[in-house]
Amino acid sequence: MLAFVAPSIDYHAFAPELIVVAILAILVLVDCFTSDYDKSSQSSVAGFGLLLALIPVVTLAMDGTVRGMFGSPESGYAYVVDTYSLILKALFLVSGYVVVLLSQTYIAEGDYWEGEYYQLLLASILGMMVMASARDLVSIFVALELLSIPAYMLAAWRKRDLKSDEAGIKYYLMGVFASAVMLYGMSLIYGITGSTLLTEVAANLRQFPAGQVPPIVVLAVVFVLVGFGFKVSAVPFHTWAPDTYEGAPTPVTAFLAVASKAAGFVALMTLVFVAFPGNTSTIEPLMFALSAATMTVGNLIALRQTNIVRLLAYSGVAQAGYMLAPLAVYGVSGTVGLQAIIAYLLIYAAMNLGAFAVVITAARKTRSGEISSFGGLIQYAPSLAVLMCLFLFSLAGIPPLGGWFAKFAVFRALVGAETGWGYALAVLVGINSVIALFYYARVAKTMVMDPAPDGDLSPVRVPFSLRAALVITAMVTVAVGVLPGLVGHFTDSVTIGAALGS
Amino acid sequence: MDFNSGQFWSSPITYAVFLPAVGALVMLLIPRQQEMTHKVLALITSLVTLGIGIYILTQFDYSAGSRLQGVVDTNWIDAINARYIVGLDGISLPLFALTLLVVPLCVIYSMDHIPAPGNAKAFLILILVLETGMLGSFVAIDLVLFFVFFEVVLLPMYFLIGVWGGEQRQYASIKFFLYTLFGSALMIVAFLALYFLTKNPDGSAAQTFDIRQLQALSGSSIGRTTQLLIFGGMFVGFGIKVPMFPFHTWLPDAHTQAPTVGSVILAAVLLKLGTYGFVRIAIPVLPEAAQSWAPIIGLLAVIGIIYGALCCLAQTDMKRLIAFSSVAHMGYVMLGIATLTPFGINAAIFGMVAHGLITGMLFFLAGSTKERYHTLEIRRLGGLLKSAPRMGWILGFCSMASLGLPGLAGFWGEFPAILSSYNPANPTRATVLFGWSNEVVFRIFMVLAAIGTVLAAGYLLYLYQRVAFGEPKEEFADDPHIHDVNAFEWVSWVPLLVGIVLLGVYPNIVFSVTNETVAPAVQQIAAAVGGG
Amino acid sequence: MGNDVNIGYLTLSAILFGVGAIGLLVRRNALVMLMCIELMLNAVNLTFVTFGSMLNDITGQVVVFFVLVVAAAEVVVGLGIIVAVARRRPGATADDLRVLRG
Repeated sequence: MLAFVAPSIDYHAFAPELIVVAILAILVLVDCFTSDYDKSSQSSVAGFGLLLALIPVVTLAMDGTVRGMFGSPESGYAYVVDTYSLILKALFLVSGYVVVLLSQTYIAEGDYWEGEYYQLLLASILGMMVMASARDLVSIFVALELLSIPAYMLAAWRKRDLKSDEAGIKYYLMGVFASAVMLYGMSLIYGITGSTLLTEVAANLRQFPAGQVPPIVVLAVVFVLVGFGFKVSAVPFHTWAPDTYEGAPTPVTAFLAVASKAAGFVALMTLVFVAFPGNTSTIEPLMFALSAATMTVGNLIALRQTNIVRLLAYSGVAQAGYMLAPLAVYGVSGTVGLQAIIAYLLIYAAMNLGAFAVVITAARKTRSGEISSFGGLIQYAPSLAVLMCLFLFSLAGIPPLGGWFAKFAVFRALVGAETGWGYALAVLVGINSVIALFYYARVAKTMVMDPAPDGDLSPVRVPFSLRAALVITAMVTVAVGVLPGLVGHFTDSVTIGAALGS
Repeated sequence: MDFNSGQFWSSPITYAVFLPAVGALVMLLIPRQQEMTHKVLALITSLVTLGIGIYILTQFDYSAGSRLQGVVDTNWIDAINARYIVGLDGISLPLFALTLLVVPLCVIYSMDHIPAPGNAKAFLILILVLETGMLGSFVAIDLVLFFVFFEVVLLPMYFLIGVWGGEQRQYASIKFFLYTLFGSALMIVAFLALYFLTKNPDGSAAQTFDIRQLQALSGSSIGRTTQLLIFGGMFVGFGIKVPMFPFHTWLPDAHTQAPTVGSVILAAVLLKLGTYGFVRIAIPVLPEAAQSWAPIIGLLAVIGIIYGALCCLAQTDMKRLIAFSSVAHMGYVMLGIATLTPFGINAAIFGMVAHGLITGMLFFLAGSTKERYHTLEIRRLGGLLKSAPRMGWILGFCSMASLGLPGLAGFWGEFPAILSSYNPANPTRATVLFGWSNEVVFRIFMVLAAIGTVLAAGYLLYLYQRVAFGEPKEEFADDPHIHDVNAFEWVSWVPLLVGIVLLGVYPNIVFSVTNETVAPAVQQIAAAVGGG
Repeated sequence: MGNDVNIGYLTLSAILFGVGAIGLLVRRNALVMLMCIELMLNAVNLTFVTFGSMLNDITGQVVVFFVLVVAAAEVVVGLGIIVAVARRRPGATADDLRVLRG
């Protein structure tokens, strides 16, 4: 019987997560000692905490060494801090900060539970950060639940509104179903490989020569990946997304559409590149089908949406399709594909959060989510209309706005694979970009060319927090578009698994 | 500023390209109510840009037009080895100068012609952004940079048509947008394929977007079928922009609905981005594929000429007629390019500039007519020579120029293009069209294109006769709105009119510049296919 | 333990999982759907324990604790949301939830 040896913990590597945990604890304390009528300190503390947690992320990045915990150099580690995880943690922290900015007035002015809101938000972000570093099936599972369970509650946050309840329950049932499926797949993988450590899983799965993979392995891999298909709202597992997005409070929708989706992609990437690098014959066709279906269906349904949030939801589905595309050639494109997805996630976060920020700001006046309510925006809020055009056309991928580089990176991964499937998917992405432009341009058209529906041309008051969110997202969107090297600089160095012995 | 220093910040080209964008940024910060400030600022910006352009023209070494000059080559996106490379040579210089000239004229014209629903600020900002995109496209020597500038042009044009356009503006603007974006999606895939498939002579992957390098390697390492496919992608991308038959359907709508200035810029510069793409990128980079595609390009060009002319004869709207005449005229340009001879490509570049001046001018006239008569229905117009004699004479002059009257610019675009198709490159090479040789095919094209000029004379004279001759129609007989050319119009039109005469009388202004570049480029094409 | 017994356990867990999944997809009462999810999660637990014992590895059993804890948290949240719905729409089934169109 071996004596229990406490694993050594690298506190520097853990610092970002620890700071978020500490802020979470402080939030609970502050919540206890402040009046029910003034919870404004909550959002400030939460926002401050998220920025504070960025500091160790930066120092770790400057340090540059790959740190692994809970494992050995031979077997690989269950928790790894490398460039890949750091850049994603930074993404989660910054987009979390923007969501806090978006939430501030929305939550304070509505009849909501302000204190708990930020605690749950932080808990969810913590889960995402853990996800970025997790290299073990169990820690991936725990991270997934840590990020999902608070999100279920946030989706149902307007609990006196039936729509929000419905949003919550649909999200909950679908999400839990997906994690059960994923967990079953994980149990099979554990049974087949005898380990939950991703590097060992990969090593053990390599024993099956290509073409002789037992069906049970295929089933297990598909189950695990499909579980995350729900999270990233890939067709046909996307049905929850539009309803949840419409029903949830809009800042939460922004959070789900950006951070939560990014977390799903992080898990997908970690699993595909670290755990299943050899299972190309299973994963590539699956991802090809998922990606093709997701972008096409998402775009086609988005064409006939009349509600801006639902439109953004379906556009998000389509965007997920583009992001899945490099996984369909991951066996050939390898790191290039990984970098493409990460670049896409970073840019997508900026432009999509920006679009939601405009929707939230405009809704302060119009009190509506219908696209027609945006009519005449250019007359009474020209800067909002210009910013919205910026974000929408960035989502459509028009240079010189950030989105073009994201699409370009995907094209590069697909064409660079030099396979028939890659070319086919590249052409499909191209065609879909044109379809997508149609509905983005329709929103732009309404804002710029249609009259205000009620003729009310009084200006929109933009609170400071929303102004800050708009400025941050717009600056990133434009800067990345003009100098894509900014993103390239970060994503270029990203490799996964280099220090994992695989 | 040293013209050939190669530094980003010391190259006048960089300043010329980005100055309009800076001007637009400054205007963004000024409240909308100060219309006059916006107009003055836009004018100053475009004039200073023109000034920089003139400086560039004086610094340009005309004896070495085949060499890229004022080259800036710095890092841009390291991850994919896309670089900020700009430069001018004989091919791009005329178009660069054309753009620099047209934009200030449009701004001057806009001084008292901001179309409904007003908002001079937004209108002028969009024109300046457009200028940056157009200038950038003409100087970019890197495929990705070219692509970005090419796309920058899209959004301002979309809004110009969609906000300030005619009754069908929303339909027209989205059609324009979707067509062009579809083309550019295929174009970027083609560019990426070039990036990955082009190999250095030693077999290593070149992985470059630098047009100069790609041109030097000329795609020889790429399989024939793949080459044809890549060229096809670029063909659709550029062909939509030109626009070539059968991708032209967006053009009449866009032109008819666009505000006057939008039509002018569209006709004078935007369409040239497509033909320029062929001359600058598609043909030099993949000369072998170009040879195979040439008969098809020529065929579509000739169909465009005839079809555009026939459509013109059927039009009842003056602006739509001019739009279809653009399809026909761009057909001559494409025919010249398709011959792949120095003579033909020279003619094509000349044709681009001439068409820019003449058709730009025609759209100005159409806009001013619309402003006075509030209609462009040809059968309701008439007697322009009586009610506004100077404008009537200018219309006559431009119609003559457009139908290719010798002594005016249009002639030198059309006639050499037709002539060049008598002797295409590689005359004996069998084509995909019934296996006939290049020579036979292009001589048939020549005959058809010549018939096109007769048709052109037909519809332009018809237009002129209906609009300018006779007595003014009753409904407009004593309309006080119908006045003659005003000061702003004179200022914005005279340079174009002078240009039309000057190029007509002394075409060597352009030919001497372009010939230097075209001859070596075409020789390289010939060399790449083993002299045919 | 014999191998046949293990196969039996695995088959049982697969059946349980299938019952849960099908139940979730066909039943419309939110509470029953919640129970189906529990069934699926417990099927997963059974698989993990069985594999743990087959492989003579402690990990399989450790995972079960994680799953149990997480499942408990999930059910709490789920019940909370269901109660919130039930208070506004007593006796609501999943089919009645169609304010938002899928």
